[in-house]
This record gives sequence, structure tokens and C-alpha cells, in this order.
Amino acid sequence: MFPIEIRPDKLGEEMLDYSRKLGQGMENLINAGEIDTGVTPKDAVYHDDKLTLYRYHRPSEVAQQEVPLLVVYALVNRPYMTDIQENRSTIKGLLGTGQDVYLIDWGYPDQADRALTLDDYINGYLDGCVDYICEKHGLGKINILGICQGGTFSLMYTALHPDKVHNLVTMVTPVDFKTPDNLLSNWVQNIDVDLAVDTMGNVPGELLNWTFLSLKPFSLTGQKYVNMVDLLDDPDKVKNFLRMEKWIFDSPDQAGETFRQFIKDYYQNNAFMEGTARVGDQPVDLKQITCPVLNIYAQQDHLVPPASSKAMNGMTGSEDYTELAFPGGHIGIYVSGKAQKEVTPAIGNWLNERS
Amino acid sequence: MANDTLFNDDWLKLQQRYWENLTDMSRKAMGLEAPRQNPWEAAMDQWWKAVSPAASDPSKQFMDRLMEQGKAYFATVERFTRGLTDGGTGWDALNKTFDDMQRAFTEAMSNGFGTNPFAMGSTGAADDAMRRVLGFWEMPLDNWQRMMSSLSPMMPGDMLRNMPHDQVKESFDRMLSAPGLGYTREEQAQYQDLMRRAMDYQRAYQEYMGFFAKLGGKSVERLRELVQSRADEDKPIESARELYDSWVACCETAYADEVSTPEYARIHGHLVNAQMALKKRMSVMVDETLGAMNMPTASEVRTLQDRMQETRRENKHLRRELDSIKRQIAERPATASSAPPATAGEPKKKAAARKKTAAKAGPSA
Repeated sequence: MFPIEIRPDKLGEEMLDYSRKLGQGMENLINAGEIDTGVTPKDAVYHDDKLTLYRYHRPSEVAQQEVPLLVVYALVNRPYMTDIQENRSTIKGLLGTGQDVYLIDWGYPDQADRALTLDDYINGYLDGCVDYICEKHGLGKINILGICQGGTFSLMYTALHPDKVHNLVTMVTPVDFKTPDNLLSNWVQNIDVDLAVDTMGNVPGELLNWTFLSLKPFSLTGQKYVNMVDLLDDPDKVKNFLRMEKWIFDSPDQAGETFRQFIKDYYQNNAFMEGTARVGDQPVDLKQITCPVLNIYAQQDHLVPPASSKAMNGMTGSEDYTELAFPGGHIGIYVSGKAQKEVTPAIGNWLNERS
Repeated sequence: MANDTLFNDDWLKLQQRYWENLTDMSRKAMGLEAPRQNPWEAAMDQWWKAVSPAASDPSKQFMDRLMEQGKAYFATVERFTRGLTDGGTGWDALNKTFDDMQRAFTEAMSNGFGTNPFAMGSTGAADDAMRRVLGFWEMPLDNWQRMMSSLSPMMPGDMLRNMPHDQVKESFDRMLSAPGLGYTREEQAQYQDLMRRAMDYQRAYQEYMGFFAKLGGKSVERLRELVQSRADEDKPIESARELYDSWVACCETAYADEVSTPEYARIHGHLVNAQMALKKRMSVMVDETLGAMNMPTASEVRTLQDRMQETRRENKHLRRELDSIKRQIAERPATASSAPPATAGEPKKKAAARKKTAAKAGPSA
């Protein structure tokens, strides 16, 4: 049999259909208006330099847990991914399980923040947020949920301040940065990070965008837009697509010194696995983490391969370590319908069992 | 080289090509280039010209992307279906299409990458649809250029990328190895270093483009295998979208295989490092100019940033220590005779002064 049987009339029909959808979609695009991000009501409760700590409004109909949960997002991209739209919100799901949710927004560093180090982020900003929440609630320790790089930060923090963390949840968190399937890691091995940071000061978000788009360039910069045309006649889907598009390209610059340390220590020298992790002048020993740990990874994660996250097993000092595999990707773990049904309830239940 | 003087024919050719590239860039920037189009593309463009004034800038940019990818989508399909209706037998036409694609990538590689191998108009043997298909492979390179343009306002469009390199390397190396003389010796050395770094970046970029041209050929091979397997399984590709998606999948798979290799890590590292080295040299030279005008330089500002951050860090650390001491004092059992009245009643909680003000903003979502 001949392998391509595209009849001319069918091809013509497809072209006509594409054009029609593009034409109709134009109206929806024009009417899309401003793209709002973050849907759940929240209050800014604490500031430190460019950092803002938010506390989300709790639904009155749900029984509240006593120990609050602090969500620590990555420095890369923006934390509104966790609350991107009404029916796709990790935050909303967590509130629904009775958690009292706080979230750190690191802000947009500029050149004045170039000299911020990992020590400033972990022992400065993050510790300041934890202290604020502890004081506010009259507690000695709280729950922490770290996401991606924020998960790595949370591991460092919990190892350095084990007395302040009641339960630790990590999502799509890299621990072993040199697994063979880690493309990002492969790409940075030959990069002179000192030269890059000395040259640029802060590392521009555009450079990170380019790196992430380069992971799947044909899908992410080509095919995605062809597929998008199929959604154009639905205003809600257009809005959701544009919201995600905004998030993808909303990349804060990275404070130069922190970037230098993070890439050299972790991506190039695999500090957790080699036992060389340090924050400031303090060694980071994951065995100091003795609280319960829930480690969630995504099975189709192209940014943080599952093996990178699963390496945490046995590395902490916790006797209550749980792993949860999500059948999806790095982004789907927050925004997919399946994640709303599986991931957030699982986190909530796990925390409630240990409250 | 036959001619070993510094300013020989090669040098003149270099100048000529460089100005041609600059002129080309200017033409593109002014929208003077009129691409050859198929009727569907022409109709789409006509429609877009009519309706786009009503769209906001973000919507326009977004629609531009949709239009551009739509063109690549149908060009891919057109390339495969046209041959089938040209009168030849199906397999002959199909194999010819694969061969043409393979040849276009090979030609792009053998052109020596004096120009972008995927750029529209650079593949002599290719037709419009073929250029669109190859243009699809330009996306990773285009991403790099866009990113570099945003980082290097002094080098719009990554302007060095098309400068010929191999032909003049020897002359350039000799010229750049000549020691500087006289009062401006140091300045001459800086410019020589700048040129050396620019040439190294060119070399890195051309190697990067070469890598993608090779990858393109491998993607065509994968598509050929996939199409053959569909024939073997009696499961023909029946729609334009299916064909396009198959092509994307083959490109993506070939790409994923190659970019996970140490070879790609080396090429990628060279590209980024060479660009940074060039940018750094430019930055140093700009600093010197600013310094001569008694203006603050980037280097000076960074020194101040470092010192200020160090001071802030120490300040925060001291504040924490002070808070800790206050807490310890407050927690000590009060002894009537020695405990000062002022501290005896202090609450156990940490001093609020350590924290900055809590925002009183209302709901912000």
C-alpha cells in the first residue's frame, strides 16, 4: 500500500478549515483582553526586599489544619503557575484539603540583586518567611511544599533548620543532577558559568527561555501554534492558552551569584550526590532531614527526569519517606485535570495524616 | 593562501560579503524582500493585511506566529503531495521528495555555512515549499538569534553570524597576531582581542548551524523510515495534519538523540562561551570609554553591589543575633533583685521589629 493517501479535496478542506478557524479565532484573540494570572484571593502579608509572602483566603466550609503550609516556588518562572486558572489550581486544591496556604513570590531581581547568594535566599529570605509564619501562628515549625528548584531550596533549608519543618513535600525536585537523561545537565557541563555571570551580571530570563524552548524546539515553537488553531473558536480555551503562553515567557532574570552557585554546585558538581552541598559557610547534610517527606515526581518530566527526583530515596534521615509518581509532565503536574484529582488531594491527605 | 599580504583579495571578498549581508539585513528590516508564495499563502497574507490593523500588538504577534507555523505546516504537506500529482508513480515521487530534502540539507552543509543554511533563498536547488520545510529547521537557530538580539543591543540580529570565516581565517590570524605599537598599543591589543573573540564566536555559530544541518538530514531519514513502516503496515497517512505531526515527531526524535551527546554539549558550550567572551570584551571597552568620561562603569557598580550586599548580609545576621539575645534574656527566670523591669515583661515571641511591616493590602487575586 502507498503510505500517503491525502486526497486533494481533503487537503483543500483542511486548508480551508485552518483558514476559517484562523479567521474566526481572530475575533476571540482581539477580545481576549488582559491576561489575568492567579485566581484565588490572597493577601500580601510580609515583604522582604523584592520578596512577597502571600496568604490565601481559606474556604469557610472546610475544616482548617493547624499547621500552615508554605509553598516555595522556583526562582525560574513565576509562581502563579500553581494557581493559573479556576479549574486548574494546585493552591485551590490544597485549600480544599484544609491547608492554610502561604506562597513565596520571589519577585523580579534586577542588577541591584546581582550579589544575592544561595545563603541570602535560603538562610535570609526563606528563613524570614518561615519565622514570620511561625510567629504569626505561635508555632515552632510549619509544613513546607517545595516545587522544582524551590524543592531543592526546601531540602537545603530543612537540612539546615530541621527544627522548623514539621513535614516536607517536594514536587518535581531535582536531587541527582547528573542522571543520563537530564538534557539540561548535559548542556551546562561545558559552559563557563563564571564567564557567563561575570559578563552578564544577572542571567537574563531570555536565556532561560531559550534553554527551555530548546528542549523540544519543534513542538514548542512550531507545532504548538498549529494545534492552537483548533482551539481558537473557543474564547475560554484561547484565554487559557494565552495564560500559559504568558507564564512560559514570563521569566525573571536570575540573581547572578545565586545562579553561579546553583549551576556550578548542583548541575556541574552534583552537590547532593557528592556530599559537597553548602549554603554560605554551612555544609548541607540531607541526613539532618528527619521530618516526614513526601516526594512527588512526574513520570514524563523532560526538565527534571524521574530518576533525578527519585534519587532522594535513602538520602534523607527521615524514617517516614513516601514517593508519589504522577503520570504526566513537569507542567501537567500542576495544571492538568488529572493532577487536580490526584496530586493535590494526595498532598492534603498526606499532610492531614501527619498533622 | 596564494596571496600572503594582509589586505588581499580574500579581504576584499570578506568586505564585500559583509556589506552584502548588512544590506540584506537592512532590506529585511524595511520589509523590501518579497517572498515567492503559493496561492494559499498569498490569500492568507492578503487577509491578514486587511484585518490586522484591528488587532492589538500582543494579538498581532500571536497571530503572526500562527500564520507562520500554518505556512510551514502546509508547505510540508504541499511538498509531499505535489509530487504525487505531477504524473510520476507514487513511490518515485515520494522518493524524489525525500532525496530533494536530503540533498537540500547536504547542500546547505557543503556551502560552508557562509550563510545560514536554512535561510529562505539560500538553498539554490530548493523550491518555495522546500524552503519552508527547511525553514522549519531554522527554528532552534532563530530562537538563539532572538535571544542574542535581546542580550546584545550592539549586535542586532546576531549580525556576526553570516560573516565568512574559513576563507579569511589565516589572514585574520596573522593580522591579529601583529603586536601593537606606540602610544595606543594597549588599545590596539584590545581591538585585536575583540576581533579574535568575534571570529571565535563566528566559528562556534557556524559549527552550531552545521550540527543542525546534519540533524536535518537525519530527520529526513527518520521520516522516510516512518513512511515505509506505514506502507508495510497498510496504515497510510491520510491527512495533512497527520503528515505534519509525523514530520515534527521525526525532527523531535532525531534532535533528542543528538543533543544528549557529549558532542552537542561541546558545541553548545562553545557557542555560549564564545558569545560571552565577546560580550565581555565589549563590556570592558565600553567601561573604559565611560571611565574616560568620568562616568560610573559597570565594573565599579558591581564592586559597590558586592560591598553593599555584604554589609546587608552582616547587618541582617547581627540583627538576628540581637533578637536571639533579647529572647534569651526574656526567657530567663526573672529574679526579683537582678532582672530589669523593662525586660521581665517582654513577650516570648520574637521581636516584631526584626520583621518588616506586614502588608495591609486587601485581597490581591
